[in-house]
Amino acid sequence: MNSMDSTKGKIGLKELLALILLDVGTKVADDTPHTFYEDFGNAAWIGILLIGLITLIPILLLTKLIKLYKDKNLIDIILHLFGKYIGFVLLFILWIMQVFANISNSAIYTDIIGTMYFNRTPVVVIYVVLVAVAAYGAKKGVEYIGSSAWVILFWVILSLLIILVVTFVQGEFTYIFPILGTGGWEIVKGSYNHSSLLTDFLYFGFIASNVKNSTVFNKGIWIGFSIVILSFVLALIGYVMLFDYYGVRMFDYPYHETIRYIEIGFLTNVELLFFPFWLVSSFIRFSFYLYLSALLFGALFKIKHFEYVVPALAALTMLVGLMPESAVFSMNKLKIIFLNVIAPVFLLLPILLWITAKLKGDFKK
Amino acid sequence: MEEITALKKKTIDSNLEDTIEIFKQFYSVPLNKDIIIRNFSIGGLDKKATVIYINSITDSEKIEEHIIRPLLMNSVSEKKLENISPAQLINTYEIYEDILQDINNGNTALFIDGEPKAYVFSSTKFQGRSVEKPLNEVVVKGPKEAFNENVIDNISLLRKKIRSENLIFESYTISKSSKNVLYIVYMKDLVNEELLKNVKSKITSIDVNAIQNLSLLEEYIEDKNTSIFPTILSTERPDRATSYLEDGYIALLMDNSPDALILPATFWSFFHNSEDHYLRFLFGNFIRLLRFMALMITLFISAIYISVTNYHVEMIPTDLLLAMSASREVVPFPSIIEILLMEIAFELIREGGLRVPNPIGPTIGIVGALILGQAAVEANIVSPLVVIIVALSGLCSFAIGDIKLNFSVRLARFIFIFAAAFFGFYGMTALFTIGLFYIVSLYSFGVPYLAPMTPKYISSKDTFFRKILKNEQYRPGYLKPKDIVKKKEIQ
Repeated sequence: MNSMDSTKGKIGLKELLALILLDVGTKVADDTPHTFYEDFGNAAWIGILLIGLITLIPILLLTKLIKLYKDKNLIDIILHLFGKYIGFVLLFILWIMQVFANISNSAIYTDIIGTMYFNRTPVVVIYVVLVAVAAYGAKKGVEYIGSSAWVILFWVILSLLIILVVTFVQGEFTYIFPILGTGGWEIVKGSYNHSSLLTDFLYFGFIASNVKNSTVFNKGIWIGFSIVILSFVLALIGYVMLFDYYGVRMFDYPYHETIRYIEIGFLTNVELLFFPFWLVSSFIRFSFYLYLSALLFGALFKIKHFEYVVPALAALTMLVGLMPESAVFSMNKLKIIFLNVIAPVFLLLPILLWITAKLKGDFKK
Repeated sequence: MEEITALKKKTIDSNLEDTIEIFKQFYSVPLNKDIIIRNFSIGGLDKKATVIYINSITDSEKIEEHIIRPLLMNSVSEKKLENISPAQLINTYEIYEDILQDINNGNTALFIDGEPKAYVFSSTKFQGRSVEKPLNEVVVKGPKEAFNENVIDNISLLRKKIRSENLIFESYTISKSSKNVLYIVYMKDLVNEELLKNVKSKITSIDVNAIQNLSLLEEYIEDKNTSIFPTILSTERPDRATSYLEDGYIALLMDNSPDALILPATFWSFFHNSEDHYLRFLFGNFIRLLRFMALMITLFISAIYISVTNYHVEMIPTDLLLAMSASREVVPFPSIIEILLMEIAFELIREGGLRVPNPIGPTIGIVGALILGQAAVEANIVSPLVVIIVALSGLCSFAIGDIKLNFSVRLARFIFIFAAAFFGFYGMTALFTIGLFYIVSLYSFGVPYLAPMTPKYISSKDTFFRKILKNEQYRPGYLKPKDIVKKKEIQ
C-alpha cells in the first residue's frame, strides 16, 4: 500500500541534501583528487575554490530557472525552451554523458574495491554486486534513494570527520607549501578543465520536480554546494599534509591510501572500519546515477514507467565497464578526456537556457 | 443441513412447544450436555414459559434469582415483563438466527406461550483469568497490569486510563461461522478519518469462517505478509496502548487475545519500550542507547567475525591475531561452519527452552549454556572466541523487547552471516544497503516505516532518543491527526 500523503514521491530538504553530499561528496574519495593533484599540484584545494567560483554562474542560473518554472524539472524546461527536436538532441547528449559517467565511475569503483580491498576476488563478481545493489535502489525510485542517503549521511560524515581530524593531527602542516602548486595561470586553466566536477549539480535539475518545492530545491543546492566545496578543500589539504607534494601524485586513490596510512590508538589497520561507510555511499551514488540514466531514457523515448529500464541500463553499464583490461589506466585516461569535453556543456547549457527564457519573455510573466 | 440454515432465517412460532422442539434440533439436545431448557409457568399470568441458556457460559445463579424466581413468584396479572424480572432485558427477537446468536454469547432466552417472540436477558459469565502482570513486556518502573483474554476487561483497562467520551470502541463481527467480534478503538477527536476508513475497509473485506484471536487477524490485514519486518505492533500493556491511542493511532481488541494490535506501526514503535518514558530522561535514553548497541551487535557481530577471519585479517592487532589462530589451530572447520553450528545451537536452546515444561526448564538452561559450550570447545569443534561471539550476539538479541523485531533481527543475522561468508565486508555492506532501500520503501497503513526520521514530519522526534517530556509537544504528523498539538510550550 502506498503513502496516504498527497506528497508521495517527493523528497524534502534533508533527503535532497543527503543525495547531493553522497553523490558529489564521494568524489573526494575516488580518483578525482588524483586528477586534481596532477594538474594543480599542491594547490588542488585552491583549484577547487576556483572551480566553485566558475560554476557559481551556471548553478545560479539553474536555480533561477527552477524557481521560474515552479513544478517543472530540467527535462520539461529544456523541451519547453528549445522545442521538441533540439530538446531531444540535447537530452540525448546529456543522457549519453550520464551513461558514460556511470560506466567509467563504476569501472573505477570496481577497480578501487578490487585493488585496495579484495585482491583475489574476480572483478566480474565485484562489478555484478555493485551494479545489482545500485539497480535495486534505482528501481525503487528517487524518494527511497534519498531517504536511504539521509539515514546513513550522519555516519558517513562522522567517519569522514574522524579521518580528517586524524589526518590533520598526523600530517605535516608545512607540506602544503608551495601554496600555489603548479603556478597561478596553470591553476586557472586547470580549474576550467576540471569544472565538470560539479556537473552533477546540473543533473539534480532533472529531479527538481521530485523535490517538495523550488525553494527547498534551491536551498538544498546551495547548502550542498557549500558543504561539498568545503569538504573537498579540507580533504585535499589533508591528503597533501599526509603524503606531501610528490607522494600524493603517485596515488590513484588518495582517500584509500589515507585510511590505510593513518593509525588510531592501538589500531594500526583502520581502513576496514571506514570502508563500509564509503561503500554504502558509493552504492547510493550509483543508484542515483542509474536512476538518472533511466529517467532521461524515459523522457527521451516517452516511457512512463522508466524504472523498468533500470535493469537493462545496469546490464549495459556492467558489460561496457568490464571491457577494458585495466580500468585504472584506460578508464582514467578516458574519464579525463570526457570530463574536459563535458565542461563546456555544463558551463554553457544553463546560460543558454537562461538566455532563451529571457528572450522568450518567460521571466516577465 | 440446508434445511436448518433456511429455518434459521424464519421467525418463531407462537406455539411454545413447537418452538422449543426446533431449538432442541438446533442444539442437538439431548446430545449436547450443557444446553439447559427449563420449563415452568408464570405465576399470576398462568402461562407456560421456557428459558434456554448454555450452562457453561452463563451465571446460573443470576438466572435463577433474577429471571426464573420472580416469574414463578409473580402474583399480579397485568404486569409488563420488564417490571417483573430485575435482570437486564437486552432485546426481544423474532428470528431464530438472532436468538441463537445471543444464546451462544451466554445470554438467556425466555419464551412465553402464545407470544411469537423471545425475550433475551443478559447473563454472560465466561471463564477466564483475571488481570495479571505482563509476561513479555516487563518493566521495572511503571504500571504492571496486562491485557487478558476477556475483551471487556481489556476495554475496562483502557477506559480506566482515558476518561473521555471521545474514546470509541466500535465493534465488528469479522467471521461468518464463529462470529468473532473485533473492537476498533480510537479517539474520535484525534484519529485521521482516512486512516480509519482504510482500516475498516480492510476489516470488512475479510471473508472467513473463523478468526480466533488478534494474532491470527494480523496476517489478514497486513500489507506485506512475506516481509521480514513487522508492520503491526502488538502490545500486552494497556498503558502502552493508551499512549498510542492518545497520539492518534488505532488499536484493535478481541476476545481471546491478551494483547492489543496498534496500527499503523513504524520501525520506532518496535524499537521503543514503555520504560523509556517512565525512567528519567537520561536513564531512559541510556537504555535506548544500550538497545541500539544490542541491535547492532546481534545483527553484525557474527558476520563481522567471519569477514575478519576470512577476508580482512590485517584488521586485527597482531597479538590478538596470534592468540586467535592458536585457538583455531585445533578446530577442523572453516569459521562459517563454526559460527553456524553455534548460532543454530543457540537458537535451538532458545526454542527448546521456550517449549520445555516448567519444572525441567532450569536444567535445560544449564545443559545448554554451560556444558554444550564448554564441551564444544574441549572437543575442538569450535574455538572459545566463537562461543564468546555467539553468546554475545544471543544475549544482545534479548535486549530487543519486541518479539516481532526480535525475530526480524535474528533472521537478518543469518543472512548477514552468509553475505559475510561470500564477500566479507563488501557483501555485508551490499546487503545492508539493500536492506536500507527496502526498509525506507516499506509502509504500514500508508505511513512510511522510518517516519518521522525520513521522510520528515512534524512530530516529537521520538526516534533513537527521546526528548524531555515537556518538549514532546506534537503528535506524530505522519498519522495526520485532527489535532497535532499535544501540549503547549511550558515556560
